[in-house]
Amino acid sequence: MGVVTFAIVVIAALFAIGSGFWVAIALVRAISRHQTTQNTYHPANDKSDHGDI
Amino acid sequence: MQTVLPVIVAAAYVVVLTFVALRARAARQFSEFSLARRALPLALVFGSLAATYVGPGFSIGFVGKGFKSGFLFLGIGLAYALQNILVGLLIAPRLRALKDCHTLGDAIGQKYDRRCQIVAGIISVSVCTFFAAVMAHAGGVVVSDVFGLPNWSSVIVVVGITALYTTFGGLRASVITDAFQFTAFAILLPVTLLVVLIFHIKGGAATFAGEAVTATAEGLDSTSLIEIVGLVAAFLLGETLIPPYANRALASRTTRISRNGFMLAGLFSVVWFIVMIALGVAARSILPSGTVEDRVLLNLVGSLTHGGGYALLLVVLVSVVMSSLDSLLNAGAVAFTEDIVKPFAKLPDEKALNVGRCATIVIAAIAMVVAPAVPSVIDGLLICYTIWASAILPALIIGLFIKRPHPLAGILSMGVGTFVAMSAIVFWFIFPSMIKAPAIIIPALGAALLAYALGHWLGRSKSGV
Repeated sequence: MGVVTFAIVVIAALFAIGSGFWVAIALVRAISRHQTTQNTYHPANDKSDHGDI
Repeated sequence: MQTVLPVIVAAAYVVVLTFVALRARAARQFSEFSLARRALPLALVFGSLAATYVGPGFSIGFVGKGFKSGFLFLGIGLAYALQNILVGLLIAPRLRALKDCHTLGDAIGQKYDRRCQIVAGIISVSVCTFFAAVMAHAGGVVVSDVFGLPNWSSVIVVVGITALYTTFGGLRASVITDAFQFTAFAILLPVTLLVVLIFHIKGGAATFAGEAVTATAEGLDSTSLIEIVGLVAAFLLGETLIPPYANRALASRTTRISRNGFMLAGLFSVVWFIVMIALGVAARSILPSGTVEDRVLLNLVGSLTHGGGYALLLVVLVSVVMSSLDSLLNAGAVAFTEDIVKPFAKLPDEKALNVGRCATIVIAAIAMVVAPAVPSVIDGLLICYTIWASAILPALIIGLFIKRPHPLAGILSMGVGTFVAMSAIVFWFIFPSMIKAPAIIIPALGAALLAYALGHWLGRSKSGV
């Protein structure tokens, strides 16, 4: 029982760390893509509701 | 050296945060300020939702609960996970599907009428402001602990930095900085747990499991059934679709992302509660048994690491607070502009953006002033949950599901819900021994539902439908 509880806690911690890396990758993509969009900014596209952030 | 290293770590953190906030860039339109142009991808919706709900209550508070009550609070926390999953499945896609909707007030206005939108706006702004004050209070405690500053100046530092990037960048800056802050605490706090489990607990898995069983049994003995029911109700309903969450549902790129973002955030909350409670349980074999709940995480971190490491983890705790605070400031400002100002004045986009920015600053200033009066983080959050759940949820959820909701039902439900919740809170402040704080939500919510039913019946009789 003790080993099972311990294993669940360790798996939860690893899952949380994995989520942190997933969001970190999305963040890097978002800010680098945004910079590219900013450099090639076209007013006509500004009202788009569906571009990436 | 002992004071220089924390300052260097904190300064490095602020530099990186500023870099991330600058990359998010200032909002140029109100639609950017309020909804980030409805372009948020799944990972950012998820990260931002999780960063918003993981505030001081779900970090410092849960570690303290793990220390005192073991895994009892995991059972209560599951109600919160269930709430997020249900919102993702049933409500977020319906909200996202509404056209020209920036806030919950907008949604209520579309379903009922403009008066209901204004009332919902006033409640949203008030609740966001008080939530922000609770966050400012918690942030002040942590910063004052790291640098030994007076509490009032710590509150000013935390709220000032957060208000600065939220005022200029709006929702996009809030979401991008949330993602950065989420990354910091979602990696560092679980790593701290693993370090404690592997290197600091004598006896390993058996000792940990023994402490967990003992603490949970103590928690069950010291918590009455009515308290457990009240806590489950507060976790199930209290944070349901509070304005910052609703903004993220509305700002998702598609209805599918909106739904999946909430469901993933719900599943993550289970994992997060396990990690936080396990930190509290593990702390039982390291800290003295008389440690105050709100100090367990700070003292545990202090006993494991000193200098830069200690400062880094404390800065992560400040980021836990800031990621919730920025979302509340932005949501309150957007609700003020959209639900309180716009129904009375036709605002061109640029003016709406300026009103939103000014509102961010005013809400931040009020939060700073109110922060010292907040009784405690958990009590402050319970007050917000009680008012929000009773005042808004019946009108919002029923309105989204029935075909022709009556404005009278919406107004009565919001008015009675707010009145009963506020009265119960005042009663609790005057006679704290006569009523348990978590239980207040039950009569307040019941009264709001009854008022809704009465308003619906009266509305139908009046219109003859």
